[in-house]
Amino acid sequence: MEAPGSPAAFASLTGALRIVRTWTRRLVPATRGFIRVMRANPLTLVGFLMVVVVVVVAVLVVAVPAISGAIGGQRASILPYDPNYYPSPCPSRTIQTSNGSYETCTLPPSLQHLFGTDNLGRDIFSRVLAALPLDLAIGFSITGFAALLGGVLGLVAGYWDRPRTIGGVISALILRLADVFLAFPSLVLALAIAASLGRGTIPSVLAILLTWWPYYVRLVRGEVLVVKHLPYVVAAKAAGVSEVRILFRHVLRNILEPIIVYYTLDVGTVLVTFSTISFIGIGVPLNVPEWGNMVEYYYNQNLMGLAPWTVLAAGGAIFMTALAFSLLGDGLRDVLDPRSRRALVQAAVPTKVTAGAAAPAEA
Amino acid sequence: MTEPVLQVENLSVDYVVGEGIRAALRDVSFELHPGQVLGIVGETGCGKSTLAHAIPRLLAEPPARIRSGRVVFRGIDLVRLPKWQLPQVRGTGISMVFQEPINSLNPAYRIKDQIAEAIHIRHLRESGKEKGLVSPLAPYDYSKRDLPKAAEVLTKPLVPSLAKRKMRLPLEEDKEKLLREVLEYLRLVRINDPETILGLYPHELSGGMRQRVMIAIALSGRPSLLIADEPTSALDITIQAQVLTLMKELMTEVNTSILFISHDLGVIAEMADAVGVMYAGHIVDLGPVDQVYQDPRHPYTKALMRSVPNRYKTDGPLPSLPGSVPNLVRLPTGCTFHPRCPIARPQCSKDPGPALLPAEGASSSQHLAACYFSRDVLGMP
Repeated sequence: MEAPGSPAAFASLTGALRIVRTWTRRLVPATRGFIRVMRANPLTLVGFLMVVVVVVVAVLVVAVPAISGAIGGQRASILPYDPNYYPSPCPSRTIQTSNGSYETCTLPPSLQHLFGTDNLGRDIFSRVLAALPLDLAIGFSITGFAALLGGVLGLVAGYWDRPRTIGGVISALILRLADVFLAFPSLVLALAIAASLGRGTIPSVLAILLTWWPYYVRLVRGEVLVVKHLPYVVAAKAAGVSEVRILFRHVLRNILEPIIVYYTLDVGTVLVTFSTISFIGIGVPLNVPEWGNMVEYYYNQNLMGLAPWTVLAAGGAIFMTALAFSLLGDGLRDVLDPRSRRALVQAAVPTKVTAGAAAPAEA
Repeated sequence: MTEPVLQVENLSVDYVVGEGIRAALRDVSFELHPGQVLGIVGETGCGKSTLAHAIPRLLAEPPARIRSGRVVFRGIDLVRLPKWQLPQVRGTGISMVFQEPINSLNPAYRIKDQIAEAIHIRHLRESGKEKGLVSPLAPYDYSKRDLPKAAEVLTKPLVPSLAKRKMRLPLEEDKEKLLREVLEYLRLVRINDPETILGLYPHELSGGMRQRVMIAIALSGRPSLLIADEPTSALDITIQAQVLTLMKELMTEVNTSILFISHDLGVIAEMADAVGVMYAGHIVDLGPVDQVYQDPRHPYTKALMRSVPNRYKTDGPLPSLPGSVPNLVRLPTGCTFHPRCPIARPQCSKDPGPALLPAEGASSSQHLAACYFSRDVLGMP
């Protein structure tokens, strides 16, 4: 520890200050540009905010019990109730039908139970929130892995595709393999794989993974085929850039934008597919809260007419999350292209037309 | 005579498209000596661009196929060089300026990144960290060159910019050095306010600016050979003049040989020391510019010179050559030019004609023509 006021401490202090100043100088224009882009495109802003909320809540759901457990010894949670806790006997209400009356534990939404309770008296709100981290992690990891695997294979298949060369043979193999997977509807194939692997979270994730990557191969290969013959790639070759560097620096950078957009849209699709697999009953086990199996379970318990909030809360969660990623993906398409980004920023700046300037034009 | 930088011998290139084989280049031969500027001129589709791309082996193969010939660059036969070694020659050995400045810059990167990439590659090769052909000449210090007065004024920013302040950020030493060199090259190509240009994307520049950046990238590898493939044809006439003036000035500053390709006779006359006239994939007339222009020794060259708009000729229609360029799939038998040649003899339709012969009666021994009857061209109607 240096004494305060010593030259070394002073130097480190100014060094730290300079780093902070550098970063604020970089960040301030960046945030300003970001705000402008978002203002020009309100739906993107909505999608972005929804994604931020969803991700933050998911992190809190996982992190708060873990951190509080580590610090205080007692695990706190942002969930109002334990998602799997059911009181016994549960508070119930009486339903009158023409055949008489019976008791049910499904309580309609109230301040105590925001989304009501299910047939066992479990809090739906807690269950929906508890399912969020799992569903989100599955959406990100499946698309992420598929994009990585399919993307690399697509880059190779697109870039070295000359027939009668080693690269050409490899790319032909990749494409035929992708075709085999693409020949089946992805949901049916995923169901078949999941069913043969047995019920569980990991098997259903694997099933979707195996069916998901060929789409990225197709997407990336198509983009590479377009970009690799563009004059700037030839110009890069003429400048002596090596093949691998051209592929990753010049080709990949220019096809990144459609891939990111597709990826973002895909997170929602994977969520829906995963929920579908759970809904059919071969996905996540019932004791794990997951949106798809919640919808399945409550639907099979005939709660749609009696207590619609049970099914709607889980279904709505799927819908809203998928929508958030769709909106964000659509907006990203505009933001990522430098040309349209510039146009967006200019559109966001209100053009001032003064009365004096407008008058001569009319006359 | 010094060793030529580039020696092209009997280069023939085909395009295999479907059933047809198009002979894009046939028996092209020429030499390019250090410091020389060789112009290649010819009409659309005669194989100029194919030649430009074939030398650094940038043609897409297939559909293109180098049938025969040698391209010897500084003692290396590029046609026989394995494909994976070609990038080592490009950039620091041979570099290129392309026709379309609009599409030749990567839209995803800032100008500084693109020039820095080329400089970085050269640094790696010069320091031996990466294999590659580098210029054998002593490094040229661009910062110590004598700039024309007007150009010096132009390099000073007209509008004070914020870019200068940004540059004082604590960058790594290497990056800062690299950036300084990038600035040098931008100044070299007379770009106005280079500090601002550094951070811009290609779509924010005009066509002339982009072509200047392209030239800067091409020169920053310090190549021994620069191939300029119609560098000015996509630009409008005033910008064309600026870029040509720039290239002309650079020729004296930068020690490199240039292969200058154009369809414009005037541009070639302005730029080149020697000129090759191409017709249907073959060089028909090759020699010093004034020789070829004043005293053409191939009937095609003669007809071409006659059809140039001339300010002394104000009456009557401009003479034009009857017929049209032959179909490259079915070339005429014998000399490819004989169906249109006013001095063709019966043997011309059978004999394919010489590759290149010293022109008979020409004042320079370096004037070559692909015609047996180069003496008759003088009396051509």
